Amino acid sequence: MIDVAQLKAHAKGLLEKGTVRTVFGYRKSTAGLLAEPAGITEAAQADDLIFDPSCVQNLALYLVNDKKHQAEKRSDDKRPVAVVAKGCDSRAITVLLQENHFPRESVHVIGVSCEGTGVVDASKLARKLGNKKALAVAFDGADAFAVTTNEGTQSIAAAEVMAERCLECRSAHPTLSDVVFGEAKAERGLHTPFQAVKAKIKESEGDRWAYWSRQFDRCLRCYACRSVCPMCYCDECVVDSINFVIAPDTTAEEKAERIKWIERSPAKSESAMYHMVRAIHLAGRCIDCAECERVCPVNIPLRLLNTRLEMEAFETFQYSPGSDPELPTLTSSFRDTDPNSFIR
Amino acid sequence: MTKTVAMEKMLKKADLAAWMAKLGQTRLFAPALEDEDVWNYMPVADAKAVGLDHPNTIRPPKGFVFPQREVLYKFSQIPSEAPILTETLPDPEPTVVFGVRPCDSRGLVRQDIVFTKEYEDPYYHGRRAKVIYVGQACNTPPSANCFCSSVGGSPCAEDGLDVLMTELDGVYHVKAVTARGAELLAKGGDLFKDASATDKAHVEKTHAAAKAHPQRPIKDLGKVAGALKKNFDSPAWDEMAKACIGCGICTFLCPTCHCFDINDEVTCSSPCSGERVRTWDTCQFPDFTMHTSGHNPRHDLGSRLRQRVCHKFLYFVENHDTQQCTGCGRCVSLCPVGIDIVSVVERLGQP
Repeated sequence: MIDVAQLKAHAKGLLEKGTVRTVFGYRKSTAGLLAEPAGITEAAQADDLIFDPSCVQNLALYLVNDKKHQAEKRSDDKRPVAVVAKGCDSRAITVLLQENHFPRESVHVIGVSCEGTGVVDASKLARKLGNKKALAVAFDGADAFAVTTNEGTQSIAAAEVMAERCLECRSAHPTLSDVVFGEAKAERGLHTPFQAVKAKIKESEGDRWAYWSRQFDRCLRCYACRSVCPMCYCDECVVDSINFVIAPDTTAEEKAERIKWIERSPAKSESAMYHMVRAIHLAGRCIDCAECERVCPVNIPLRLLNTRLEMEAFETFQYSPGSDPELPTLTSSFRDTDPNSFIR
Repeated sequence: MTKTVAMEKMLKKADLAAWMAKLGQTRLFAPALEDEDVWNYMPVADAKAVGLDHPNTIRPPKGFVFPQREVLYKFSQIPSEAPILTETLPDPEPTVVFGVRPCDSRGLVRQDIVFTKEYEDPYYHGRRAKVIYVGQACNTPPSANCFCSSVGGSPCAEDGLDVLMTELDGVYHVKAVTARGAELLAKGGDLFKDASATDKAHVEKTHAAAKAHPQRPIKDLGKVAGALKKNFDSPAWDEMAKACIGCGICTFLCPTCHCFDINDEVTCSSPCSGERVRTWDTCQFPDFTMHTSGHNPRHDLGSRLRQRVCHKFLYFVENHDTQQCTGCGRCVSLCPVGIDIVSVVERLGQP
């Protein structure tokens, strides 16, 4: 069982000694059941840190955002930042290291175990509880959550209210860490990997097109999926109205003649294009934290798109993103044994 | 109609569908599930299926009058000739929207100010004149983050509505708030019975009970604007925005946010033709304030959070004497990282 007191003490120690600049962790939110990300810089704030199944966010995002922020501030503080990382989050950090986004010594990874379960899906839990309102959720052994509501605490089988991606998770324990809290529980008798996407693929092409048309048609283009993704770190993005660097000598003509690949209108064609571009750019990089799907306010099942490509990477190239920081990335490596049936 | 009448009628719940059927050549919308867990205002296909037991819809009803994409005009040009501009003012079919929560209709009143006060926007008003809003009092809060009462509203507020419906036991108390609303009730004919003194007492009691539900408080609402002004340079903005991912959820799904961008969408380059369109924009995106020079005055997340909160609780108050937040709680509930406008106002908007 994970001892949150140890986690707090560790974070406190790091900040007291000043060995790290910031600790990114989780704390209780005022907005609802799910935790909120916290970037703490004072030792006293370490007491606010929590870790339980409400800690859904992938904090690797904040390593990327922090790097941008430091560059903007022209900060010369080169101390590392610490980050609390679940299994999936640690895989995201690994991908960022593989892509040389930052050096290994610039991040102190505080690994946390999901205790053989995973994080909660707030909608599933709300449906399960009916009229009762969840106030807190804790790990309860290797296959249950202890859920506190306004009517007391009850134990619920984790598999019933867990996030879909956790059900398919292949490594629920951090693969990369400087320190780990909680037990390594690798054995998981849950869903087989790629189960959801494999079921979807069986549908006819016409059915799938109808399905995705409906999904893309209601996209708001709020870009929450892009904003929450640690792998979407490009300075310029194809969907933005300003998607190229403007220098003082950039002429008005150059600005006016920019190519707009995707219009801002939330039309089905434009939104489909946006999601396809994002999915393709994540091929061999997405570690299935499924944050894009969780944050979507109109519940577009983005995980299906991303895991489709991960399945391709796995089945064609036996590649699992984020498994080893020493390995080259999928798209920057070549083996003589790689299949090449697609080259004609 | 000589003046706005407060016509109060009673309608059996089972007769709601019959009333809808009598509304004639009108598009009807009501809250329904667009997809799993996605409540939205959907065209009424089967009036009998309309239950009016919805939680807060994910999208507010602002799109009926301020759609995410509005064509401003079409353009075309044959080389060496003058460009041709074609007017595309909207002329939608008459529409009745059912199940509008009072926070959302109060949001509409805020939109009216923006699109009317200094300049009457013909696109907005072209649509506004055609949409009738039938509201529904919230007997129980439809969201855990409701705070309408803390920003001058109430679960049974009538502002912006044409009709307010309140569910009692097996019946609706239906009150026409505007002349348009009264006409809508008149179309129902015999389906409606006059509200008796007992009915009126019942609805008053129900409204009082609705108002008594505890909501998230904002202390000293009148002093919030001044405090925010004083705290403009507070380092707390950056601190509270640390978790912000910079997406557009809080603003796109806000019933009062109204910022837009204008783009030319070229459909054919030779001969040139296309449309000039207005689409929703948000102060949370980096390019919102990007200057042509490349300089961005609101370059970080803290300044963007400050803009969102101050626009609602300071600038709008200074300009229009009311808050531009109606307490629907969507930005709180739907924020991926728990950024909570009530907490922000609690921290920086208190003297």
